[in-house]
Amino acid sequence: MLEISNLQVSYGNDIVLNGVDLRLSGGESLAIIGESGTGKTTLGLSIMRLTEGKVRGSIRFDEKDLLTLSDGEMQAIRWNRVAMVFQNVNNVLNPVHSILDQVAEPMIEHKLRNKDEARTKAGELLEQFGLSQKRFSAYPHQLSGGEQQRVLLAMALANEPDLLILDEPLSSLDVITRGELGDLLRTVGNHRARLVITHDLDTASRLADNLAVLYGGKIVEIGPTREILQRPRHPYTKALLRAYPNMTTVKDLQGIKGRMTRPVSGCPFHPRCTQAIDICSETIPPLTWSQGRGVACHRGGIVTLLSVANLSKAFNSLKAVDSVNLHIESGETLALVGQSGSGKTTLAKTIMGVYPQFDGTVYLEGEKVTSYGKDFYKRVQMIFQNPGESLSHRLSVLESVMEPLEIQAIGTEEQRREKAIQTIGEVELSRSDDFLHTYPHHLSGGELQRVAIARALVLDPDLLIADEPTAFLDASVGAKVLKLLLNLQEHRGLSMLYITHDIAAARKVSDRIAVMLDGRIIEEGPSNMIVTAPEQSYTQHLLGSASSLHLDNYT
Amino acid sequence: MHISLKKEIERSNAGRVGLSLLLLVIAAAVLAPLLSSYDPGQQSVGSLLSPSGSHWLGTNHVGQDIWSQLLYGARTSLMVGFGVGIISLLLGILFGVSAALIGGLYDKIVMRVVDAFIVIPMVVVVILVAAYIKPDLPVLILLLAALSWQGGARVIRAQTLSLKESGHINASRMFGAGRFYVAWRHVLPDIVTILLVEFIYGVRRAVFMEAGLAFLGIGDPMLVSWGMMMRDAMSFSYLDVWQWWLVPAGVALSLTIIGLTFVSHAAEAALDPRLRGAEVA
Repeated sequence: MLEISNLQVSYGNDIVLNGVDLRLSGGESLAIIGESGTGKTTLGLSIMRLTEGKVRGSIRFDEKDLLTLSDGEMQAIRWNRVAMVFQNVNNVLNPVHSILDQVAEPMIEHKLRNKDEARTKAGELLEQFGLSQKRFSAYPHQLSGGEQQRVLLAMALANEPDLLILDEPLSSLDVITRGELGDLLRTVGNHRARLVITHDLDTASRLADNLAVLYGGKIVEIGPTREILQRPRHPYTKALLRAYPNMTTVKDLQGIKGRMTRPVSGCPFHPRCTQAIDICSETIPPLTWSQGRGVACHRGGIVTLLSVANLSKAFNSLKAVDSVNLHIESGETLALVGQSGSGKTTLAKTIMGVYPQFDGTVYLEGEKVTSYGKDFYKRVQMIFQNPGESLSHRLSVLESVMEPLEIQAIGTEEQRREKAIQTIGEVELSRSDDFLHTYPHHLSGGELQRVAIARALVLDPDLLIADEPTAFLDASVGAKVLKLLLNLQEHRGLSMLYITHDIAAARKVSDRIAVMLDGRIIEEGPSNMIVTAPEQSYTQHLLGSASSLHLDNYT
Repeated sequence: MHISLKKEIERSNAGRVGLSLLLLVIAAAVLAPLLSSYDPGQQSVGSLLSPSGSHWLGTNHVGQDIWSQLLYGARTSLMVGFGVGIISLLLGILFGVSAALIGGLYDKIVMRVVDAFIVIPMVVVVILVAAYIKPDLPVLILLLAALSWQGGARVIRAQTLSLKESGHINASRMFGAGRFYVAWRHVLPDIVTILLVEFIYGVRRAVFMEAGLAFLGIGDPMLVSWGMMMRDAMSFSYLDVWQWWLVPAGVALSLTIIGLTFVSHAAEAALDPRLRGAEVA
């Protein structure tokens, strides 16, 4: 019914939409999500031909290209066939007319009904949207925001349009009203095509079966809402999900590094993307479809950074790690949870190539790791339980952090120094000369672990394996270190394998949790699923024994 | 954590005495030409002269000045001692560290070779070999070094093995560091005190061996050495000359060895605080 192809909208030199392709059939619903400034509203306005920008491409509605219609023809379609509910309710309603009149007006104006019929119909609509008759004669300023929104929705539906464009329909409402109106919109709008424009994932998932993620004027990911929210494949979608406070995920909120900038050559998201490669800044990735999902990414969506297949490590007769399969995506945290002796550390060490012999395969970005050398260690780094032990007592803070660069022979002495100092700043340590020349035995546990983290990060690795990084720290210091790791993940797009016995901490920092018992992974899934609906009795046991404040002991 | 070896040695009485003795012997060796007016090989007017103003300790059976011989003998002792000490330490580091870091078959082979050498009675082998090849000074040093690095290598290997599992070396490996880097940057600095103790031990043994060989008459007869002086003096034991010929050489040798022993004791005590005894309290 609606087919948008290669839509480009610009205001002066500012290209707001850049080659958008969309399709919407009757009765379908599609949500367009994205941060503010991505061009969502412009898209809606372009369909209504209400944008002031220069529009190119084509918007076909029932086989007619809306962009080539005369103003008169467009008039006939606007509000009758295609209606839009605008964002920002305050400015849209006419303050001098009662709400009943305002809802009736489009019907009268388009001569669909006579005045009385129109008013009756308007009343029905308002009632449908939960406004009682007493309120019909009220003026906009007498209504609450939620009520105004109901009026607008009623207005949009007055001429029974085939396509309903809803621009942030629920954003300004409180959660309870949002729930009510959301349900209402689903039933009322069920047989109409709906285009929901929103930055709010809750609204999108309430109102639309399909989801298109817009970034920098381009659709970066499109597909069924449920699938996208469960397993985003574009780095931006994933970042957006992480930044969104909700009751489903359990990980701490994380922002997206940087700010949206325009214009950008190549992929619009590449300056903020954590897995960008050279080509990303050169050419615009096309939207490619596979398994019902469209993703515009040169790397085919989120990359699987590291995976292990059938990894086993035995010490004599003891199988410490037993046929483990795991994967870690770019920019995500996988928590490996299990009691001590379950083989977590052995697994990490095996991945790190500490043992010359093991069974199974480790893949780094799809390529089999055949030898552990500088190339591997430049990309995969590890921090250890005991930071005091992992730092040489003879090296100062600066020397310790410079060591990896020295080993890898990166840059000149001066550049190494600079890089090391910058990284030390990044882990929130002092960059003063005094501190840089301090020796480990003068540092606190938290400082030591930060130095160890800086040392691991100075090579700009893609994956950080953190083996109980807070085990030797006080709770408050440990919390800061975990926060630091989360921030570093946000800024650097670091992937992490976080090893812990503490499932309470794991759920706060990880996207996924893998539970390990006797060398095997017995359960693996999104953190929220593992925490709320564990399948294995061992996981339940682990959850039951996890840290808690035990308030129920004192009743 | 940081052991300042110099400070620790200077703090103990034995260390101070040992260092003083050692410095005394070194000074004698270095300043030999200034402290005596005769060449130790030069044959002067009369043989077996008693001490006098011109020959402080008299002359020996071929008319050489004993005082000069005593001073130049220190040179020989120290050259052999330090030469052997350094070479055997380097060999010990080479084989000990590499065996520990490389491991596997290489480690096994090196350690079996070390074992084989250790069970051979060194003194007997040295005497036999030296008697056969009549070594001059450099060859003697090499010979002694070749037979004395094994014990050090074993200790160094053990220390390196325990360090190898320590966190910072593990971490270093995980930045991609090679074995050489690890050995140079982390292992050696961490075992430097042990190396010093091993070194002094090696010096002491070499000084003793050299004197012993010379005393037995094996080795270069042209070399002025305390051992040879004692040997020569022994043949004239029925005369009074032993007082200024045999005794000074024996005392010089003893003082050198005592000095080295004291220093190594002090250094060992510095390494292991438990050996420091009452000083801790």
